Amino acid sequence: MVDIAGILLTGLQQGAIFALLGLGLTIILGTMEFLNLAHGALYLIGAYMGLFIVREVSVQEGLLAGIAADPAAVGLGSSFLVALILTPILMFVIGVAMERFVARPLYDRTEVEQLLLTFGLALIIEELAREFVGSQPFSSYAPDKLLGFTVSGQADVPLVGLYPRWRFVVIGLTFLLIGLSYLIIERTDFGLIVKAGTRDSEMVRMLGIDITRSYALVFGVGAALAGLAGLVGGTIIDVAPGIGTNNALVPAFLTVVIGGAGSVVGAIAGGIILGMVAAVFQFQAPQWSQIVLFGFVAVFLLVRPGGLFGSVEVGE
Amino acid sequence: MSDDTETDGGTTVDVTPEEENLVDRLVAAKDGERFVAVAAFVGVFAMPFLLIDVLGVFDTLIGLSLGGFVGLPTLILSFGIVAVGYNILLGYTGLLSFGHAALFGSAAYAAGIFSNNVVASPLLAVVAGIVVATLLSWPIGFLSIRRSGVYFAVLTLTFGQMLYFYAFGPGSWLTNGDDGYTPFDVAGGPDLFGSLAMDASITTLFRDVTGLTLTLTDGLDMTVGYMLAALVSVLAIVVAHRIIKSPYGLILKAIGQNEQRVAFVGLNVFRYKLMAFILSGVFAGAGGALYALSKAGLTVHPNATLYWVVSGDFVIITAVGGVGSLAGPLIGAVVFEYIRLVVQGITVPGTEFQIGSLWRLLLGVVFVVVVTLFPDGIYGGLSSLGDRLVERFGAATDDRRPVEEVEETGGDD
Repeated sequence: MVDIAGILLTGLQQGAIFALLGLGLTIILGTMEFLNLAHGALYLIGAYMGLFIVREVSVQEGLLAGIAADPAAVGLGSSFLVALILTPILMFVIGVAMERFVARPLYDRTEVEQLLLTFGLALIIEELAREFVGSQPFSSYAPDKLLGFTVSGQADVPLVGLYPRWRFVVIGLTFLLIGLSYLIIERTDFGLIVKAGTRDSEMVRMLGIDITRSYALVFGVGAALAGLAGLVGGTIIDVAPGIGTNNALVPAFLTVVIGGAGSVVGAIAGGIILGMVAAVFQFQAPQWSQIVLFGFVAVFLLVRPGGLFGSVEVGE
Repeated sequence: MSDDTETDGGTTVDVTPEEENLVDRLVAAKDGERFVAVAAFVGVFAMPFLLIDVLGVFDTLIGLSLGGFVGLPTLILSFGIVAVGYNILLGYTGLLSFGHAALFGSAAYAAGIFSNNVVASPLLAVVAGIVVATLLSWPIGFLSIRRSGVYFAVLTLTFGQMLYFYAFGPGSWLTNGDDGYTPFDVAGGPDLFGSLAMDASITTLFRDVTGLTLTLTDGLDMTVGYMLAALVSVLAIVVAHRIIKSPYGLILKAIGQNEQRVAFVGLNVFRYKLMAFILSGVFAGAGGALYALSKAGLTVHPNATLYWVVSGDFVIITAVGGVGSLAGPLIGAVVFEYIRLVVQGITVPGTEFQIGSLWRLLLGVVFVVVVTLFPDGIYGGLSSLGDRLVERFGAATDDRRPVEEVEETGGDD
């Protein structure tokens, strides 16, 4: 008998990752009205980045197996903390580059063309991953120790009972990241520009603010968030080329749809709601959980098209 | 460009008989229904020969396995039919659906389940597939069309995924879940008209009737199953052509260009969009059923039929081939299936290098390049090349154009 508290915790933990993903997607969508179907691919890159920073893994297939000096131990085998610092920085750079070379030429193209091209890009990134490291799934890389604390094994928590320690860390970590992004967007000048840009980018430009540079920054932050979601997600589920679309892109879009496009609070709420619904049904009726999840989103979208906190409806 | 909605689509062509030469006559006939039917007929029956025999020549000459295999043309046709219908939705009405796998897959399962449980007849299986896909596209379309843009795409995706997970889990009693469903127990499938075996080829039929041995190449020696698929395809192409050229099709096209204007004229946009969705569902049904027929003795799996990635494949096929044209999606289907099933088996001559799993990467690159450089797809690129050739060799270039277009482009020329 699993406690209700345990289910809710699992929901919270899944939801927090969804929220992180949705957050990255929604600020890009809200600021630039750019639909990035390659968002899941950024998650994928983040997950692989984490894998090769944290672990030394044996790569059996793919180009990397041929290139690497020792295919049996590819990776830095460094600590999770290093990954936590390196991943967002690298992902930020990737995001900025992506804005410059992929998104910028597409701003004045139609929505359908944006979807098609970023979909193609997602396909290419996923296949590049498959080419380099092969299709084999790598087991998740939750660390044993973080900052000197033991984070593996089970913790005995009142009300909840035995629950994996690492999941608590994940919940804490993601909420810390979410809070940090929330502060950046709500409390800094950069956030103010981003938020103003979601309302009326032309007006921002008229005020003499170079919003193009902000676009690059927003894309970088969005990519860093997606990468962090991948890094955290990779400690819970196995890393394989398919996770980008299945475990990240689709949930990220569902999260944004529930929360409302462009809304930071919406992405957080949407992610947690989605995680909770998924967790409850995974426990109650595992076979039906995905069906209920998608059905939930469909009903939600039909009843509340603007999402929970959405102000603008993209594509309307 | 908004003026296009008011013209007749630039299709009516009046060429005075004295002035025409061969090129102009061909161009004039290009959009006629009879021309489309004949071209489709020639195309589908020549395709196996071109893919298997002509490209197979490379195989024997330089050991480069460019040739297709015998089952390839059937797969191309089943995906091509879906794409032709999908194009009515994406290319003309401007709706990007990520849920057509649901319609395609349901039809595939329906065709199989129908033949295993009701009557084992290929023709009726196709009908069953079409009926189920049509009935399913009505509610999915009815709900999804309430939203537009990315929300429409997400809604169609959710409905598709619900069906996929149903077929995988709770619906296993019907679909056999992850193990896959065997649409037809008989090897090669049930007999057409009760007597023609679907996997019988022309040479076998000839031998059975006359007792003589006829030698044909693999490509020319089509099976009954392929011929059925080919005839259904010709029918589908002609029907799609008629829809696109009809006033109804013009309204769909107008919606794709400026929905608001169409609403201002007093037309019920919702109804037209829904009809476009259902029409594309009919084609998806036919394609799905033909796919199931080609899987006789094998299995139909949710991952290959209902999964949203398959919907993405339809998007790729249509966009690569060319949205907004009849031939585009068919070209897209050939290119897609060729890369998917033939290119992956190619070994670069003289080296050990195999394309193998690189095919998807190649496909992604082809997709991105085509969408970036030719927004109208391969067909769009080819037809603009064709236009240039016509201008070069055609005598009555200007008379060929509708009056409005001449006026519009007069300044540029």
